Amino acid sequence: MDEKILALFQLCDSNFPTGAFSHSYGLESYIQENKVHNTETFTQWLKVYIHEQLIYSDGLAVLLTYQALEREDFQKVWKLDRLLTVQNLPRETREGCMRMGERMLELVQALYDIPILTAYRKRIENKQSFGHPAIVFTMVAHDLNVSNSDAILFYLYSVVSSMVQNAVRGIPLGQTAGQKVIRAIQPVLVKAAELIQQLNEEDFGIVSPGIELSQMRHERVNIRIFMS
Amino acid sequence: MGDWTGVLHLNAEDRKGKTVAKNVYFQGAFKVMRPIYHDDSGRACYYLLNPGGGYLDGDRYQMKISLAENAKMTLTTQGATKVYKTPTHFVYQESEISLQAGSYLEYFPDQLIAYQNAHYKQKNVFRMDPTATLLYTDIITPGWSPKGERFSYKTVQLLNEIYMDDELVVYDHLKLNPAVQNLPGLGFMEGFTHLGSMIVVDQKINNPFLDQLYSLIDENTFDYKVGLSSLQVPGFTIRIFANSTQNIEKIFLSIHRLISDEWFQAKQYSLRKY
Repeated sequence: MDEKILALFQLCDSNFPTGAFSHSYGLESYIQENKVHNTETFTQWLKVYIHEQLIYSDGLAVLLTYQALEREDFQKVWKLDRLLTVQNLPRETREGCMRMGERMLELVQALYDIPILTAYRKRIENKQSFGHPAIVFTMVAHDLNVSNSDAILFYLYSVVSSMVQNAVRGIPLGQTAGQKVIRAIQPVLVKAAELIQQLNEEDFGIVSPGIELSQMRHERVNIRIFMS
Repeated sequence: MGDWTGVLHLNAEDRKGKTVAKNVYFQGAFKVMRPIYHDDSGRACYYLLNPGGGYLDGDRYQMKISLAENAKMTLTTQGATKVYKTPTHFVYQESEISLQAGSYLEYFPDQLIAYQNAHYKQKNVFRMDPTATLLYTDIITPGWSPKGERFSYKTVQLLNEIYMDDELVVYDHLKLNPAVQNLPGLGFMEGFTHLGSMIVVDQKINNPFLDQLYSLIDENTFDYKVGLSSLQVPGFTIRIFANSTQNIEKIFLSIHRLISDEWFQAKQYSLRKY
C-alpha cells in the first residue's frame, strides 16, 4: 500500500507539471483589489474557496467518479466530466481546468497504462468530453487501489498546495508563511473530505457568489501573472 | 408528484408572425393573464400571477412552458416573489421550459424576497434547440424580517440547467445559507445586499459582443459590481452585486436594450407594472 500512496503523491506534488501554477481561481482579482494581502486574508479566502466551491465541484466529482469507476459505469464518468465543465461558469477557470485536465492526462499516460485514460483521451480528441484534473486523478487513484476517501483528501491537498505556492508568488508571502498555511489548513482539508462523503449529486456545483464573481472579473484584471 | 399548490402549462406557437397560446392550463395558486403585445413584433408578453400573494410553508409550484418554432415570448411576474416563513417544509418551484427552433424567450421574473426563516428551492430546466434564444434573469434580495435584519431567511437555492440537443450545456447552482455562511463577507456578498444573475444563450453572441457589453458597465462605481463571462456554448452569464433591486434592473435593462437594438432594431418597451 505504501508504494501506491507514494505513486499518488507524485500527482499531488506542486511540481507535477499540469499547469496549476498559472491558475489562481480568482485569487488574483482579490489581490489586485487589495482584499487579500497577507497570510490572514489569504487563509480566509482559502477556507471560503475550499468550503464554498472546491468541495461541491472537484471534491464531490472525485467521490462520484470513484463510485462510478467501481461500478464500471463509464457513462456516468463522462457525465461528470461534462457537469464539472459546464457548472464552471467563469470562462478562464473552465478553460483552465480543461487544459490542466488534458495536460495531466498526457502526463499520467506516460506513466501508467490504464485503459480508461486512453478512452478519456479519445473522447477529448473527439470533443465528446472536456477533460478535468479531478477525473484524471481519480482514474489513477482508483487504478492504484487507493481508497475513495484517501483519493479525495489527496486531491484536495494537491489543489491547495499549488494554490499556496501561487499565493506565495502572487501576494507575495514568505516561503515559511506559505508552509505555515499548508500546515494550518490540513485539519480543514480532513474535515472537508469528511463532508464530501456526506454530499450527494444534488449538491453538485454549488458556488458562493463572491468567489464566482472574482473568477469572472479576472478576465478584465489589467496586470496579471495568472491565467485565471 | 401530483400534489402541486399551483400548476401552469402554456404552449405557444407562431401564427403568421404573431405568437399565440396553443393551449393554456392553470390550476390552484398560479395564473397567467391574457397576453399583451407591446409592439408589432408579434412577441407575446405574459404576466404570471400568484393570487395568494406569496408562497407559504410547503407550497409546490410547477410551470411548463413550451415555445414552438419561431414563437416569441416575454414572460414575467406581476410583482416580487415572496416566500413567507416555512416552519416545516421548504417551498419549491419547478419550471420546465422547452424552446424549439428559432423560438425566443425572455424570462424576467421579479425579485425574490425570502422572509425570516424561509426555505426556498427553485429549479429551472431549459431544453432548447441550438437556433433558439434564451434570456433569463433573477434577483435575490436580502429578504425581509420584522426587525429589518438582512439575510434572515434559512436557505435560498436556485438551480438552472440548460440542455441543448439533450446535452447539458449550462449548470448554475447557488445555495445561500446565512446561518452557516458569512453572507456579508469575503467570497459571499462582499458588503452588497442584492444579487442579480442573467443568462443569455444565442448563436449570435461572440467576443466583440461581449466587449460591447463590458462598455455598458462602469468599473469604478461603488453602486454595483459585475462579473461577466462567456458560456461553453454561444452565450454569456452575468452576476451583479448591488444594494438595491433597481440598480440591478438598470443593468439588465441596458443589456436588454443593447440586445434588442443589435438583433431586432426593436424599440425597448417597459415592463413596469406599477
